[in-house]
Amino acid sequence: MRKVTLVVLGIVLLLGFAGLAKQTIVLNSYMSDPAPKAALEQLVQNFEAANPDYSVVVNTFAHEDFKTLLRTWLPMEKAPDVVTWFAGERMRYFASQGLLEPLSTVFGEDGFTSYFPSSFKSSCEYGGETYFLPQSWYWWGVYYRKSIFQSLGIQVPVTWAQFLNACDKIKSASYIPITIGTKYLWTAAGWFDYLDLRVNGFSFHMDLTAGKIPYTDPRVKKVFEYWGQLVAKDYFIKDHAAYSWQEAANYLFTGKAAMYLMGQFIFDAAPEAVKSDLGFFRVPVIDGSLGLYEETPIDGFMIPANATNKDGAKLFLKYIASKEAQESFAVQLGRLAANKDVAPPDVQAQQGLDMILASDGVSQFYDRDTNPEMATAGMNGFVEFMMYPDRLDSILQQLENKRLEIFGK
Amino acid sequence: MKSKWWAPYAFLAIPLTVYTVWVIVPIFRTMILSFTDWDGLSASYNFIGLRNFLALFHDRVFLTSLINNVKWLVGFSLVAVPAGLGLAMLFNRQLRGASVFKTMIFLPMTLSFVVIGQMWSWILEPRQGILNMVLRALGLGAIAKPWLSDPAIVTYALIGVALWRQISYSMILFLAGLKNVSPALVEAAYVDGAGAWQRFWYLVLPLLRPATIIAVTVNIIDSLRAFDIIYVMTRGGPFYSSSVMANYMYIEAFNNYRMGYGSAIAVIQFIITFGFIAVYIIHSLRGEEK
Repeated sequence: MRKVTLVVLGIVLLLGFAGLAKQTIVLNSYMSDPAPKAALEQLVQNFEAANPDYSVVVNTFAHEDFKTLLRTWLPMEKAPDVVTWFAGERMRYFASQGLLEPLSTVFGEDGFTSYFPSSFKSSCEYGGETYFLPQSWYWWGVYYRKSIFQSLGIQVPVTWAQFLNACDKIKSASYIPITIGTKYLWTAAGWFDYLDLRVNGFSFHMDLTAGKIPYTDPRVKKVFEYWGQLVAKDYFIKDHAAYSWQEAANYLFTGKAAMYLMGQFIFDAAPEAVKSDLGFFRVPVIDGSLGLYEETPIDGFMIPANATNKDGAKLFLKYIASKEAQESFAVQLGRLAANKDVAPPDVQAQQGLDMILASDGVSQFYDRDTNPEMATAGMNGFVEFMMYPDRLDSILQQLENKRLEIFGK
Repeated sequence: MKSKWWAPYAFLAIPLTVYTVWVIVPIFRTMILSFTDWDGLSASYNFIGLRNFLALFHDRVFLTSLINNVKWLVGFSLVAVPAGLGLAMLFNRQLRGASVFKTMIFLPMTLSFVVIGQMWSWILEPRQGILNMVLRALGLGAIAKPWLSDPAIVTYALIGVALWRQISYSMILFLAGLKNVSPALVEAAYVDGAGAWQRFWYLVLPLLRPATIIAVTVNIIDSLRAFDIIYVMTRGGPFYSSSVMANYMYIEAFNNYRMGYGSAIAVIQFIITFGFIAVYIIHSLRGEEK
């Protein structure tokens, strides 16, 4: 009888130790679309196979919900160990509050630049310290249906005049020239950013998002004059405020709409049959004297300062930074890997990379380059302008009031 | 036998403690935060007096939200309550298949607001939504509207969706109330020659007074705390035109990192709601004294 008890006790203890030996890494992720979710799952499996002592628990949240939830996790005593996030201002906001763990030890002696291009450094830093581990980046462009362009005999537009001409032809053939879903606001910021970059150039745009230029400046108003040309002729899909970006993309995928200004991740949502008919071109040039500037948002990971398993988190991030892991993620999604040793995974990615390499400067995105509260106000104003272009002056005045309130301090 | 005076309090100790920790303390904490500029993240914050409250009354979005809350309130108390009463009267008679209809109308009650919101977003989708497609098929294309993206009608569309559930809720409250109306009294009135309308107006309705007060109060409170449907269907958009106080508070506190300002909105909402609850409690206490 006693022997049995001892054996049972022994087994229980052994199992207990085995359980203890396995460390948990909690990863909260916004990758809720099926394609990126599966790609991340693959990385986690590879990591666990290589590091049998660790098990990674992935909690996936709907993208839009994640943006508000992160704020509540970071100050918690037991914050998640790793979180997905965006480089630039949105990361710096948390870094400035002391809520993030510095990552310098992840890269070892060789440093950040042994993994990533030095041009990424500033977007991942706050106060000279790295807080953000870049995973992938992508380009924005005007995505279009090649078949519609072909059947109407439209060449890919390079100048603004050609672009307007193309819109006109598409509309007369009773397609929707440009689809967009502004329910979650940020898609409208894509148009604002690009038109500002094309009308006023890079340094003006960065000064504006940094709160240094009044929204009532005539140069800002000029951006809306160009935007207004598209609005006045009804080139945008009707009722765009009713759609999420995916719902609006559906009009492109079903061949009812011809173009969509969007990031490369539109491919995550595109049906297999449509992908080969989906091309992209650079947002047309408005002022030929200005350089070509593009938006290249960088996505990646951070470790909260209150994470429970920081060592595990850093080990995981070291794996994420590796060529192997970055390549696996980029290949599955057709994105560009942040790791500089990874080649563009396909023809489109090569095309995107070439476009960026030929550009004269890159910004992140409106809500990644400016203060969060300013971003909400700005993007609401952009959507209001798209529906009521006559209200432009009062919209810009309100944005200016907001800017003074936020940056005037 | 002498009863121990403290016995009821002993039984109440646990619920009262839980209530204090989870309800009373947070209310006071929110009130304190509403006088600060806390961002919800920093370890420290400054007291800024009434600045948040003063700013609210120059805030166009807050005023829009407040007006929208009034629309919700009017919609709930003037539509949900009478409609619920009407349905309850209808189903209270001996009607063939009454329980089947009752169940059908009661069904929306079993769905959460999030599910209702998602479902109705599809129904109200402007191009391919079933509502507009049916309207166009019937040759009523002129009535087909972009329900959720036209700032002029979006709030009414949302209220309509909420009413779908709220009416059945009111109906249940009135059906329960009707159980207390003695059939003998109604029969006596019938024998005395009172018409159907007279029986309703002079007999049933006064007897339903307690149920009516509950229905009105519950509907008012529900209309003031409206959030889920708006959050799911429009997030308060386009550009805040369908926003209500709860929704704006959420965006300010959690999206824009202005916990102090969000708390100020919460305090205003609390005061308004508390006003209605106070009226209800005073009224029901008076009823008990009689």
